[in-house]
Amino acid sequence: MESFDPGVIAALREDLLADALRGILRTFEADLARLLGELVAAAQAGRRDAYLHAAHAIAGAAGAVGLTGLEGLARIAMDPDQPEGPAAIVPRILAEGRAGLAALVREIG
Amino acid sequence: MSGARILLIEDTPSQAELALAQLRALGHEVRHAATGREALAIAESWRPEVALVDLGLPDMKGFEVMERLDGPAMVVVTAQGSVATAVEAMKRGAGDFIVKPWKRERLHATIESELEKRRLRVELRAAKEALNPSRFGPFIGASAAMQAVYRTIQAVAASKASVFVTGESGTGKELAAEALHGASPRAKGPFVALNCGAIPKDLLEAEIFGVVKGAFTGAGESRDGAAQRADGGTLFLDEIGEMPAEAQVKLLRFIQTGVAQPVGGGEGRRLDVRFVAATNRDIQAEVAEGRFREDLFWRLYVVPVELPPLRERGADAVLLARHFLAVFAKEEGKGFRRLAPEAEAVIQANPWPGNVRQLQNVIRNAVVLHEGETLEAAMLPAALLRGAVPAPAEPRPAATVPPVTMIEAAPPPIEPLAAMEKRAILRALEETGQDVAAAARLLEVNPSTIYRKLQAWKGQAT
Repeated sequence: MESFDPGVIAALREDLLADALRGILRTFEADLARLLGELVAAAQAGRRDAYLHAAHAIAGAAGAVGLTGLEGLARIAMDPDQPEGPAAIVPRILAEGRAGLAALVREIG
Repeated sequence: MSGARILLIEDTPSQAELALAQLRALGHEVRHAATGREALAIAESWRPEVALVDLGLPDMKGFEVMERLDGPAMVVVTAQGSVATAVEAMKRGAGDFIVKPWKRERLHATIESELEKRRLRVELRAAKEALNPSRFGPFIGASAAMQAVYRTIQAVAASKASVFVTGESGTGKELAAEALHGASPRAKGPFVALNCGAIPKDLLEAEIFGVVKGAFTGAGESRDGAAQRADGGTLFLDEIGEMPAEAQVKLLRFIQTGVAQPVGGGEGRRLDVRFVAATNRDIQAEVAEGRFREDLFWRLYVVPVELPPLRERGADAVLLARHFLAVFAKEEGKGFRRLAPEAEAVIQANPWPGNVRQLQNVIRNAVVLHEGETLEAAMLPAALLRGAVPAPAEPRPAATVPPVTMIEAAPPPIEPLAAMEKRAILRALEETGQDVAAAARLLEVNPSTIYRKLQAWKGQAT
């Protein structure tokens, strides 16, 4: 299942010039790589605050560009009462991140 | 409404880039901070109207930044949309709360609404301030008693009429003179203050009117006095009640003719000076007693301004204490930012016999001796906590200080009982800064006795 909301990109296209939107996409790509790295490192080191902070940032950034699947998984991770531990949720976030980013690149170019 | 100054506090670059693009497209001027410290620095110098605050910042919590931001309307933006977070944001002063991702319309509506609320707050504050200013020139105080003082000063500022300021020691008589000067068309001219009680009587004339070379031993050069230095401005004569009779005559002539005659003769000079006089004595009693010339009194007492004692200024004591705390903390390099509510209650309840000067000393003392962000009640002097602080020692006018002698003084001559009574009452009034109730306590009589006596003496004098 591709968890991508094309409505969000359509709205951004209305608001912003194509170049600006592509610029934001490139920045998002860099952000996502960095934040996923921080999430994994924090999970491995057991640093709870850093883990929650990275999940929070991923949820916000992904939602802003319409990656609803990634946003949803990140929200599970940032919930302190989550039933799934980092060992279960982090691989799913990484996979969803890769898939979502690919979908976004296809959509925006 | 558009074109507002907006501070975006967001640490995720893609989020920041998107928000910047949207806000600029809405016509706003936007600056971006990626950390809390950066945000506080920008806010300090740039004074944004709205701050969009992300709660998850790398160096400090968004709530902490909000507490330290002073002035902008605050909107929390977060991916954490829980009710608890929203409630916490509102408690910390956020006007609104946006959950990421936001729609442009939502962002636009929120900012417009916050700008409108802020505009109304600013207008309301300005309207309140215009009606009841809490500051006037160098004065701080919003009480009804001070509003009356501000109104009088403002009303009389444009005129050249002489002003006579009365009030207990420490109430700010010189500040009143400065405020008057500052509000007058002479504000760009000189303001010269002279304390008549602090200058030896035989030098006072020279200090006021200047001196011609060779006028007396030691007058090696001609020099201007306070009157010449105040030309085009305001001459403030403090403790005017201490002025000796000869100087009073000369001052009267100066006021009548506008010509200041230096000591030692020579050419008098026509000067344009506005007079403000002050005393903490009962100047009318001084006139009645023949110690102050009546004709000079009426020349100076054109517009009386009576400064209220601090105990009659309601919440001003706390306003002043907060102001002094900020000033002294800065001067002393201390971290004090606020007064504890208990400390404010103690300050509010104290009678402050030494008035603003005493309050100033108490706050400076506490700042110097203690550390912290909050000045607690326990840091105030113990006597204050007991509700009885002695007034700071006042420099007494020379005339009222009994001469120190090593020779045993002869017993005073017998005088009529009524004269002794009058002397005792006037002495007690002087001691208490004309506070009838306090004087009555000292004399162990009812205040009405003092009022009755004052009335009777006034009748005798007319």
